[in-house]
Amino acid sequence: MDKKVLITHACSISCLGAGPDATASSLSAPPKTSTVKDFEFHSLPRERRCFGISDFDPEAILGKKGLRTKDRATKLLLSSIELGCKGLFEQPPEARRPALCIGTAFGSVSSIGDFLSDAIVNGPHNVNPQAFANTVINSPASNANIRYGIKTLSSTISTTFNAGLDALAYAAMFLRRGYEQTVVAGGLEEISYYACAGLERAGVLSSSGTLLPFGKDGGGTVVGEGCAVFCCETEESARSRGAAPIAEIAGIASCFDPARGPAGFNPAGEGARHAMKQACADAGIPLSEIGFVAASASGVAAADAMEANALAELLPNVPVVAYKAKTGECIGASPCLSLSCALADMKRNRLSGTGAAYPLCRDINLVTDTRQGFRVGYVLVNSFSCDGFCGSIVLRNV
Amino acid sequence: MKKDRVVVTGLGIISPIGTGTEAFWNAACKGTNGVAPIKAFDTSGFRTNVGAEVKDFSPEAFLSKEQISSMGRSSQFACAAVSMAVNDAGLDLKKLDPFRTGVSMGTTMGEPQVLEQGIGMLYGGAGSADAIPADLPGKYPCGVISANVARSVGARGPVIMIPTACAAGNYAIGYAFDLIATGAADLVFAGGSDPISKIAFTGFNRLLATAKERCRPFDKNRDGMCVGEGAGMLALESLTHATARGANIYAEVLGYGLGCDAFKMTIPDPSGSGGILALERALANAGIAPERVDYVNAHGTGTEENDKTETLIVKSVFGARAKSIPVSSIKSMIGHTMGAASAIEAAACALIISRGVILPTINYGEPDPECDIDCVPNAARKADVRVAVSNAYAFGGNNSSLVLGKFGG
Repeated sequence: MDKKVLITHACSISCLGAGPDATASSLSAPPKTSTVKDFEFHSLPRERRCFGISDFDPEAILGKKGLRTKDRATKLLLSSIELGCKGLFEQPPEARRPALCIGTAFGSVSSIGDFLSDAIVNGPHNVNPQAFANTVINSPASNANIRYGIKTLSSTISTTFNAGLDALAYAAMFLRRGYEQTVVAGGLEEISYYACAGLERAGVLSSSGTLLPFGKDGGGTVVGEGCAVFCCETEESARSRGAAPIAEIAGIASCFDPARGPAGFNPAGEGARHAMKQACADAGIPLSEIGFVAASASGVAAADAMEANALAELLPNVPVVAYKAKTGECIGASPCLSLSCALADMKRNRLSGTGAAYPLCRDINLVTDTRQGFRVGYVLVNSFSCDGFCGSIVLRNV
Repeated sequence: MKKDRVVVTGLGIISPIGTGTEAFWNAACKGTNGVAPIKAFDTSGFRTNVGAEVKDFSPEAFLSKEQISSMGRSSQFACAAVSMAVNDAGLDLKKLDPFRTGVSMGTTMGEPQVLEQGIGMLYGGAGSADAIPADLPGKYPCGVISANVARSVGARGPVIMIPTACAAGNYAIGYAFDLIATGAADLVFAGGSDPISKIAFTGFNRLLATAKERCRPFDKNRDGMCVGEGAGMLALESLTHATARGANIYAEVLGYGLGCDAFKMTIPDPSGSGGILALERALANAGIAPERVDYVNAHGTGTEENDKTETLIVKSVFGARAKSIPVSSIKSMIGHTMGAASAIEAAACALIISRGVILPTINYGEPDPECDIDCVPNAARKADVRVAVSNAYAFGGNNSSLVLGKFGG
């Protein structure tokens, strides 16, 4: 990467907690799941365990004003910004405020589906016109523009499970091109009936309710939700305002794998391997410099086997951390939540374990018990989607 | 940072006035009205029953049975349009470096018909998600549209979906421009796609934003927009790549700009702040002084607020020249095709530049003092357009402007 992209602030909301430090303190705790079945208009065929944010209280974070018409996805995004980088948006003049780029697979799908369901149940002439505003996929980001007075770039990226990673790539492009000096970028996903029902029909949900990344039996995944945002800025911008970098996005790669196999993944993993190699090439480092890998693994057998094979070939013996064991599969938010967890571990010289040992689909160095005193220079964060989107990010410890 | 010029070498258009570049162009030059009573769903009881549907699209002409059954209508549009762009550009896909070939798409609603089908099943007797076809939900996420396009052309480079509502096509073309200009890709298929949907039709009707009979941008008696559908895809290449294979060049992408209103979700900032910023940034990005702009393809939805605000934006940026620059809205003919709109409009600009004819704003009757611009009323006009700007604005205050220029070698 020919222009440094620094991360100067990070904040996330997930089942691990809310706020800049919540993730770090909760990573070593056992996974915290709840159950989900009934939504406003529909119910899932059966109750499912999930990594929902059961104690999410947006009013406590944002105040009551203006929240009545906002959906959960929007509240998650606004709350993440409020807790993590609100101060950045209070700087005059408007043109110097950060831009915004948010990745999400489903955006405001609850609002979209419920708008249609409401029209069917109560008649199309009775639906609330204000609810229509939430039916565009860019609604959460646009609501953030309005709340925080973002007049420059604001964009939404939607590349299914890779959306958060591609939002960071998009933000990096804007910094590298000099269009913006600071971009708040991240990933967002709410637990919705529509996404859960879709994953249920795709047959990828764990019937036991446990998520065992790289597990030999590939028991399936467990849905989660959350939002992670990062203040990404150029070195000049950070220096000019005296902001200390947490890490550098040293390399980033995004590519596509057209081949499809079981659960949508190419068993040969060509796209995954290309993404990992390209991210390191972009960072200007050999693969051997990677200290640990934040895996994409989510408990879906075909996906995890593909990634395990690629890791065994490219990064044998490198410790692999599977944060989805603690956050669940947060779809478009997952890459950024993994990045958030990886940052927390990297800054604390720690590797957070899955918390349980179990037979693996392949002999890789999966971290099961948390290890302390593990200092690394570079971390590779992976995100591979069933639709062919593949991406990797190299984080540099600064 | 490596820099290369970016050129348009192929077009694919699916529109309410014709499928295929020539069908679209011929109909547009004649001022054809693509707005008609909607056939896709029941419109009884709404303030309008009209929309801009694509009437002559046969997916079988472009896609296999397996592809058709695996895709929603938006993906079908997009894959058909990219197939047209490939042929138009004279590309041999087997000769492309797949890792240097990308896809950048935009959409407003993604695949709303898939969601409508699923929810319709839930209320229509299925009762539970267990009874919905297992392959249906996977067609819904809008990112799947870009994935389908990438798979159809064998792209393995950067593939992205930017769903920034009705400005999404411009956002997608802009990002493709950046990918090529920085050397991240040699060739990117960029555009937008949206099918007509009950959700959009219901919503815009409930907002009283739909025209009762026809779309009349900049007319004093305009009464709204017409919900439409379509797709536009452009083959964008680095000049080096295009030249090496002797490609025909329609136009050059000179730059683009984005700006936000930060005002309201459904209406533009009446001061035009976001649109002005987008247009100023686009011209700066292109290195083009406002005096060099020969034509503006307007967002021009036909709503009271948009057309008034857009006039203000044009006046603010072009000053005294504003009234003499042709500013036309092809939405008067093709309706508002949502995320496809600015992609089709970018393709139209490439044709306008290469063929020397400005497309008209039809249905224009009575001038509006608040829209006192030259909207090229009712008839196409010959003109040498060397630099064209295409505006696109969206729900949530996402504003964009794209600058295309005549390729001069």
